[in-house]
Amino acid sequence: MTFLSFFFILASLLSFVWAQVLLKRAMEATRKSGFRNLRFISRVAGGIALMTISFFLTLGLLQRFDLSYLYPFQGLSVIIISLMAAVMLKEKLTLQLTIGALLISAGIVLVSLS
Amino acid sequence: MQNQPSGFGNPWLQLTLSVVCVLVSELLLKRGATDIADLSSAWSWTGVNGLASPLVWLGIAFVIASFVSWLYVLKYIPLTIAFPLSRVVDILVPVSCWIFLGEFISPRRWCGIALVVVGLALVAKPVARIEERL
Repeated sequence: MTFLSFFFILASLLSFVWAQVLLKRAMEATRKSGFRNLRFISRVAGGIALMTISFFLTLGLLQRFDLSYLYPFQGLSVIIISLMAAVMLKEKLTLQLTIGALLISAGIVLVSLS
Repeated sequence: MQNQPSGFGNPWLQLTLSVVCVLVSELLLKRGATDIADLSSAWSWTGVNGLASPLVWLGIAFVIASFVSWLYVLKYIPLTIAFPLSRVVDILVPVSCWIFLGEFISPRRWCGIALVVVGLALVAKPVARIEERL
């Protein structure tokens, strides 16, 4: 794996994770004030923009690598998202959830190393 | 996780639908991207040339479908539970690559898949408890 492919894999991963947090926040905003409010619209728009970036970067990567090799990198997002949800969204992260998330990521890394 | 709708609006059903759509879209995108691959062009790093493939467009339709049901899931299920569970797709994708695209899965890769299954079971367990209380 070259530096360039590592860079693009990381960029597609981070834009994807950031999008998830934005979308979760967007949907939380709909609980109080429905869909017609600026908070929801701006967050969903931001989330979609980030997911689009992540999508095209992935499409570029797919032309170069096997899907079964490439895809599991997104699995690292489990750890990053669990942490971000705990910190930014104040969700409760139990020990069991943490171990589960770590095992999922470890498994995914193992898949991508093989 | 209060006031969950039942039937088609059930967030767990929507989570399943979202995962299936992601799986189908990944397979379509890989097929489409391979068909169209032109590694000599620097533009191909952006993936935009993939839009020339009809399979990529079909894949995009599935991406959008999964996105809509995922938004719905986010309304009801905490991200710390919904997101790890949605990664069941990380098992389904390599296994489908093996079945449908003829890609090879080594013993080490199978071990990784097994680890993911155990992790998913751990994440899903508290969910079962929450559901019982409802």
